[in-house]
Amino acid sequence: MNIIGPDLLIFGVDDVNACREFASDYGLTAEGEYRFLALDGTGIEIRAKEDPILPEALGTGSMLRKTVYGVADQATVDAIAAELGKDREVRTLEDGSIESVDDHGFVLGFQITVRKALELPAEAINAPGAPAQRDVNTVAVTKQDSPLPRTLSHVVYFVPDAPKQEAFYRDRLGFITTDRFTHVGPFMRPAGTQDHHTVFFIQTPPHMKGIEHFTFHMGGPTDVVTAGTKMVNKGYQSFWGPGRHIFGSNWFWYFKSPFGCNMEFDADMDLHDDEWEAREAMPGADNSQVFLLQYREKWAPMGPPPPKGA
Amino acid sequence: MKNRVMLCREGDIPEVSARGFDPQRQGIDTVFVVKKDGEYFAYADICPHYGDTSLPWKKDTYLDSAGENIVCAAHGALFNIRSGLCTSGPCKGDALRPIPLIQEPDGSLWITLED
Repeated sequence: MNIIGPDLLIFGVDDVNACREFASDYGLTAEGEYRFLALDGTGIEIRAKEDPILPEALGTGSMLRKTVYGVADQATVDAIAAELGKDREVRTLEDGSIESVDDHGFVLGFQITVRKALELPAEAINAPGAPAQRDVNTVAVTKQDSPLPRTLSHVVYFVPDAPKQEAFYRDRLGFITTDRFTHVGPFMRPAGTQDHHTVFFIQTPPHMKGIEHFTFHMGGPTDVVTAGTKMVNKGYQSFWGPGRHIFGSNWFWYFKSPFGCNMEFDADMDLHDDEWEAREAMPGADNSQVFLLQYREKWAPMGPPPPKGA
Repeated sequence: MKNRVMLCREGDIPEVSARGFDPQRQGIDTVFVVKKDGEYFAYADICPHYGDTSLPWKKDTYLDSAGENIVCAAHGALFNIRSGLCTSGPCKGDALRPIPLIQEPDGSLWITLED
């Protein structure tokens, strides 16, 4: 199955205006009445939770109503429809996409991907021993930098039966497990991307079923920290980060949000192919990050010298 | 030793709203007060889900849009305003830690800090 990754997340939220403001400040661009998009056209759709056009809620309070995957071509859409049609309803919507559910009742959509090819440079660094990545006299940062999210990266879900969820995404949709946390769940990528993960499933009690966080890829670690700092300066509250994960190696910074889940900035994720053998580690702080930084309001060592004497 | 700290005056918190406070000057709000039906309810700004993270996504965003529940913005947990009990979300059945609130006759709201 040539599934590339998430194209669109559809939310039914409690406070539409707060979510729209949040999405805009996060760096997504409003498109039409409901959508906020990253540079490549992937994004989120924000509707009031009562909107009758939305798929049914999960019943746990989670505001995520649908995950729409982008796939390579119509043949893939058809193949998924045939596969899922073996044991569940598959609807074809007016826009040509198909809609069904996974084994936990999360509503899924599949469409020919809307992703536009981006031609943007990655963050360039200069390091001794390696060719310079930035031209001479080219500066790396300015105070005016305002990096934008490039593409919808991944979604993390709370699920009551992670092995069952892993089996469904592996056996029915062709996802590949890249790493796992013991007794927690797998990181998985669909066959159409080399990104370390587009989903991570976390085993939880049934009443928690829903979205844990979602995130967009940024152009590099400096983009993550710059974008996060802009959020902090606007009064948004950090949940975790900035830091760098071990599994996936992606830089992260998570913020609480009015979407009833965290919203992350991430960058520089590992790529894998079928040669990769999944690792396994115990969950916890030691295995979740190589380092964790903590934000501090601007400071510089420019004050008076410390007082003399004890 | 115990220190009393004044948080605000009653009129500073409109009906059906909440406000966070930083009484120990830590740089982040650690206590919040909700006003509902003329009464004040104070809690530690810590979600019982992980036990060490705060609730709002932006300063003072402790309530849902209808003003019926306290909300944790990390994973959408809902808490009863009066009891602090989590009724939906990851920490369902757990409760926010209430902070005794002292209302003086002059309309000021205080809490006691433990050293």
